[in-house]
Amino acid sequence: MILSIKNISLYYGKAMALDNVSIEIEDGSVVTMIGANGAGKSTVLRALSGLVKINSGEIWFSGKRIDGTSPTNIVKMGIVHVPEGRRLFPALSVMSNLELGASLRKDKAGIKKDMNEIFEHFPRLLERRNQSAGTLSGGEQQMVAIARGLMAKPKLLLLDEPSLGLSPIMVDELVPIIKNINQTGVSVLLVEQNIGLALRVATKGYALQVGKVVMQGDIELFKSSDIVKRAYLGD
Amino acid sequence: MAESTILLIVATIVNALVLSSMYILLALGFTFLFNIMGILNFAHGVIYMIGAYICFYMATVVGINQWLALLISVAVVGLFGIFMERFIFRPFFGNINSIIVVCIGLITVLVNAVAISQPYNVQVTPAFVQGILKVGIVSLSWQRIVFFLIGVSLLILVLLFINKTKQGLQMRAVAQDLEGAILQGINVHFVSALACVIACALAATAGSLMGSYLSLTPYMGNDIMIKVLEILVLGGIGSINGVLFAGLIVGTLDAVLPIWLSGTATQAIMMLIIIVILLFKPQGLFGKEVRA
Amino acid sequence: MGSMIAARDSSSRRKNYTQIILYGILICFLLFIPLFFQSPYVLHLFILTLVYIIAAASMRFIMTSGQIPLAHAAFLGLGAYVSAVLSKHVGLSPWLSLFIAAFVAMGVGIFISFPFARLKAFYYAMVSLFFGVGLLQAIESLGKLTGGLAGITAIPTLFNTASKVPYYYCFLALTLVSLVILYRFEVSRIGWNLKAIDQSYLVSSSVGISEVKYRVLAVAIGCFFVGLAGGMYANYNVTLSPSSFDSSVTLWMIIYVTIGGMNNFSGPIIGTAVLFLIPQYFSGLKQYAPFISAAILFLVIFMFRNGLVCIPGLLMAFYKRKKSTSKSR
Ligand SMILES: Nc1ncnc2c1ncn2[C@@H]1O[C@H](COP(=O)(O)OP(=O)(O)OP(=O)(O)O)[C@@H](O)[C@H]1O
Ligand SMILES: [Mg+2]
Repeated sequence: MILSIKNISLYYGKAMALDNVSIEIEDGSVVTMIGANGAGKSTVLRALSGLVKINSGEIWFSGKRIDGTSPTNIVKMGIVHVPEGRRLFPALSVMSNLELGASLRKDKAGIKKDMNEIFEHFPRLLERRNQSAGTLSGGEQQMVAIARGLMAKPKLLLLDEPSLGLSPIMVDELVPIIKNINQTGVSVLLVEQNIGLALRVATKGYALQVGKVVMQGDIELFKSSDIVKRAYLGD
Repeated sequence: MAESTILLIVATIVNALVLSSMYILLALGFTFLFNIMGILNFAHGVIYMIGAYICFYMATVVGINQWLALLISVAVVGLFGIFMERFIFRPFFGNINSIIVVCIGLITVLVNAVAISQPYNVQVTPAFVQGILKVGIVSLSWQRIVFFLIGVSLLILVLLFINKTKQGLQMRAVAQDLEGAILQGINVHFVSALACVIACALAATAGSLMGSYLSLTPYMGNDIMIKVLEILVLGGIGSINGVLFAGLIVGTLDAVLPIWLSGTATQAIMMLIIIVILLFKPQGLFGKEVRA
Repeated sequence: MGSMIAARDSSSRRKNYTQIILYGILICFLLFIPLFFQSPYVLHLFILTLVYIIAAASMRFIMTSGQIPLAHAAFLGLGAYVSAVLSKHVGLSPWLSLFIAAFVAMGVGIFISFPFARLKAFYYAMVSLFFGVGLLQAIESLGKLTGGLAGITAIPTLFNTASKVPYYYCFLALTLVSLVILYRFEVSRIGWNLKAIDQSYLVSSSVGISEVKYRVLAVAIGCFFVGLAGGMYANYNVTLSPSSFDSSVTLWMIIYVTIGGMNNFSGPIIGTAVLFLIPQYFSGLKQYAPFISAAILFLVIFMFRNGLVCIPGLLMAFYKRKKSTSKSR
């Protein structure tokens, strides 16, 4: 297990957002977490990356307990969060955005090499490397966001609704991108409302409903599940 | 043109340039803090005043070289910047009213402490540079020229720092999307502290120099804070280009208007100009939709 | 959210009951103050406190709409000078000039807030600051009427007596009436809309024409009461000088509001009472008095984030926790 979340609960003020959630991710796998709006998916990721503090429970990453660790140290350990809505630096160029992804790395040569590799994978970003990120299309921005995350050399990549606001064609393009990332040995936790995408890339799934895990297991289980079909319709 | 007119024009231009560059140093620091931490540091003027007094004290009472005194002042005030970030700005992050209250508390304490401890007579830091430059009929004190050059070179250094270094890039990232920056592993507290140190050091430099250019009073910070606010509003808060541009305008008006008008009338006219401009451009000349 | 409302409902009746009793006690106490404190100086301080309470409460009223009126002390000055000039130079009854002053302040407030209503928070604050400075300078420069920098003296007073007691009762009544009116506005539909406008700064600025209308309305009401407070001050204090109304006074009013508690109607009342009166007690220390004020500021702002009004709530919570822990043992 590269990541195990053990019985975490979290409150925003007095409102409970997560209730005894447990999630496990095997090293090198793609796990998806699905659920309706407000189910608490983003909250799980925010807790993982240290943006919010959990009220109880434990989070373990590669054998170390990481709840209570600062966001900086969590990125240093190899958990990188590509947030919902991308949160690029809109007035900075694509290159600068990618450089900032590598903020904590010291190996200049390695950064350069990774940047070139990313431009090979995303040729469209190469064309636009000097353009400010805010002027890119939604799909391009999502690619910058993922690429920026990769620049930190993650061991575990947290993707929060990468399909948000993308056309079906663009969503299709995400499938090979995520699979490629996974093939380089990076584990992925994919939060999605687009169940089609989730089912195509993940090997294991969790379904969240108002802060609770209501279903978990092999992805095949999800493919045949009634609950998922209902959730798919946005219930 | 009469000789005296030429002399007046040259003196006014030089005065405008010196004032502008000092105002810009302060307004730039203020803008840093606003962009990076989203705070309005109304105590910035008082920091400037403290910088001036430390330099004055070191140069006269302790009796060391003025330049050394300047450096000490910058170092002490810069350290104070770290203190401010940790104990004032961080706890009240995003809470504008509380920040105003804390800043006013700080202003009250520091201004009164200085006012009580200083005698009433006019105090001036000894000149940093002696001598006069003569070009034809025009003669200028070297000090003014040096001050202007210091102002410009610090400005260039700061702009280079923001635009060319890794730390500068991180600062811009924090300014544009705080949460996005945190998720890249950027240590936001460190970046904030750095911004505070730079802002305070710039204020201390300006204060130390102005203590010799004009004179020292415990209230010098309040007066210059009004100038800084004028610049920020005029240029559009958060915009560095706006600071440069509006700083030149305000500095120039400040040098030119007193030739014909009294001090209070100058103030009133400047404010009138700014109010009118804002009625046409509600976000200032270079402003965009920002947090404020 | 739903649970919060439910919780408030169940305890609201008891709370109302205790609240009424508390207010009753408070008002009785206020009525007896001239008996407790015979010293004219102490009574003078209480009278000034009442004036500043109206000023601070009216400032908070404007602030609920998201506008920080940094010209507020200047409007206090406007009210004071208008009332002073009308009663001294025009010869109107001080009672009449007092209310004319309030309406003049309101008129000027309305006049400037139409163009200013386009400005966002920070710009509004700064422009009103500049306007306040300008207004004060205008007052100062009308030297014939206002006495310029030296100020105006021998203003006709409201009562023909040297005693301060009638002023105290009269101002207490005016203050209570003003507060009740402001409170009524705040809990009315208007107050709701003002708060909605404040919130909408965060979301969008396209609330349209009604936003301007309500922003102007907030300023109009706030300026009326601060003008009234100014008139009261002038016709009580006999002399005026511009320095009593400069921007540092505005900043202190903001402090009264914030330290008392911006989110609560009684915030500015408590804040003014505490922050205006306590430093006066130490005024024997003369030059060191500002440090006392600053110390109070720091103490309150670091200990009670939401202002002094949250202290009872905190005490209650503490008491409850104590009770529950002692029970569980
Ligand atoms: N900062 C916050 N303060 C208070 N409540 C919050 C905060 N962030 C989220 N919540 C609440 O927590 C719950 C879970 O939110 P979360 O963002 O995790 O949902 P989500 O599953 O990611 O939804 P979506 O699919 O819409 O992104 C929601 O009810 C939300 O209103
Ligand atoms: Mg979400």
